[in-house]
Amino acid sequence: MSSPGSVHAMAFTGCDAMNSLFTFLQSIRWQDLVDVLLNSYILFRLYVLFRGTNVIRVLVGIALLWIFQRMAVALGLIVTSWAMQGIIAGAALIIVIVFRNEIRNVLQAKNLRALLWDFPQKAVRTPIDSIVEGVYELARTRTGALIVIPGKEDLDEVIQGGVTWDSLISKEMLLSIFYNGNPVHDGAAILQDHRVKRVAAILPLSLRDDLPQFYGTRHRAAAGLSEQSDALIIVVSEERGQVVVAQAQSFTPIYDNLSLKKTLAAHLGVGCEDDHGIQRERREMVIAALICLFCMAGVWFSIAKGMETLTSIEVPLEYLNRDAGMQIISTSVNTVRLHLSGSSALIGSLRPDQVKAKLDLSKAVNGQNLFPLSKGNIVLPPGLRLNRIEPPEVQVALDVPTKKELPVQVDWVGSLPDSLILESVSVTPNRVVMVGAKETLDRISTLYTAKVRLNRIDASGQLAVALAPKPGVRTGNDGPSDGRVTVRFVIGRRGGGE
Amino acid sequence: MKRRYLYSWMVLFLICSGLSRVGVADDSLAVREKPFQLVRAEMCESIENYEPQYIAAAFSIRIGRISCFTAFEGVSETTYVQHRWYRRDELMTAKRLTLKPPSWATYSSIQLREDDLGPWRVEIWDAEEQLVKTLRFSIVN
Repeated sequence: MSSPGSVHAMAFTGCDAMNSLFTFLQSIRWQDLVDVLLNSYILFRLYVLFRGTNVIRVLVGIALLWIFQRMAVALGLIVTSWAMQGIIAGAALIIVIVFRNEIRNVLQAKNLRALLWDFPQKAVRTPIDSIVEGVYELARTRTGALIVIPGKEDLDEVIQGGVTWDSLISKEMLLSIFYNGNPVHDGAAILQDHRVKRVAAILPLSLRDDLPQFYGTRHRAAAGLSEQSDALIIVVSEERGQVVVAQAQSFTPIYDNLSLKKTLAAHLGVGCEDDHGIQRERREMVIAALICLFCMAGVWFSIAKGMETLTSIEVPLEYLNRDAGMQIISTSVNTVRLHLSGSSALIGSLRPDQVKAKLDLSKAVNGQNLFPLSKGNIVLPPGLRLNRIEPPEVQVALDVPTKKELPVQVDWVGSLPDSLILESVSVTPNRVVMVGAKETLDRISTLYTAKVRLNRIDASGQLAVALAPKPGVRTGNDGPSDGRVTVRFVIGRRGGGE
Repeated sequence: MKRRYLYSWMVLFLICSGLSRVGVADDSLAVREKPFQLVRAEMCESIENYEPQYIAAAFSIRIGRISCFTAFEGVSETTYVQHRWYRRDELMTAKRLTLKPPSWATYSSIQLREDDLGPWRVEIWDAEEQLVKTLRFSIVN
């Protein structure tokens, strides 16, 4: 029985998890969805194009290696992860070299539509009846025969030699191929789709020592191929006229036509199971598509979300919607530091101009204003999360602009020769009206000119000199139009005389 | 008729003379508020026999010392003025100087240091905290 406290705790945890899920769903961008779906489709197309070949098996092996490598990284196994990474890189190269034929066949034999969209149709139905009739005629006449009917796997790497035949399957064709006087009667005939693809092919011999004594080379070859592929091999014994089917490393004696027909139909997925076959294929495709989707989602989590990165960035704080009649006198900060988190890929590609900090001053009043900073003040690219803002609040002082007349004083620098003396100076206008915030103007009692060098002066005269700028104030409309004043000066000599 | 004109002129004269007396009274009040007149104010390198030497608007820091000379007349009673020395709007020092009737000349001086370069001003304030005059000058190399 749980106490009320624990119920609350559980409710809180559930709510927390929901919030986390909601936050996570919010952080998913449309680019992420496109990323996962596009790569899932690419993976699915690779499966569709290469299914039935050994490439798929090796790809699955590489995928497993990659999963192990990620696990090794997560567990901190440095050498293991490094070794796995090396093996994966090597395996990718090996795939290209070893399976160059399969890859070439896929890329050359298919057009762009076939590569991107089409689903290869199930092979044209093999004429089972012709095979059954041919096999039993061979058995009846005690003509030795070795017939290979491939499954989904490609046999090019396993079967050696042979003669390309490429004829339609018929009872007579099978009888003529294995006729003793035919030069190609030794070896296996490869039946694919509705054609005899190859004859006199050499199959790998099995090294098993548990085969019956009366099994000859044909049986051993059938056993060898059944060990290395999913093909179905029919063996017709020359001595006893017995028919044996080898599949998945086992031999099944066939005593009647019906059994052979059923075995062939089951192997080829045809006959009364036509609809089931199509449904099975569709189911297989859907499962493959879902597996591809899950794999890519996993990869995306691992790469995009798995490597959560923290960063901090300093951005200028923009003050917006200030009342036109007021002026910003001072702010406690002009930049804010944002602590962000997100995937390393997003953090790595983050540009400063993508992040903005804004403060709305529409509700600010004359005087000191304190504004707390929150997520609403920050504009971030999608996928990034804001963890903290420094400082959490900003003080902004506003004031109404006023006018003040200020005296102008020349800012002399340098030095005159010892024999000369700057006797008097007059400035026109000697007072200038400045406009600015009252608080700023209250702190200013004199306007200084830009620095005027005495070194260049050796006689009385006049100069046009600019006023030195004062932050927060500007010259009023009735001030000097070019911001310059005229300075007249009198130079005298020590001991009398100008 | 002539007598009426004469009376009219006399009344007008009396009114005008009365008004002028009121004006004089006001002026005398104003004089009482400012019990002196500043007749001379100069920035100079030194003072000799109560006479400013080398009056200027820019002083080399090498001379080491500068003075603000002020002369007053019509000092009606003993009072004082202040010389407030500012460098770029920052008050550096304020010196209170006594004035005695009827005329008085006085001055204040400062010692120059390396970081005194820049624009300066001396404000002369009276005992009523009224600004009397501002002298502007620069300390240069």
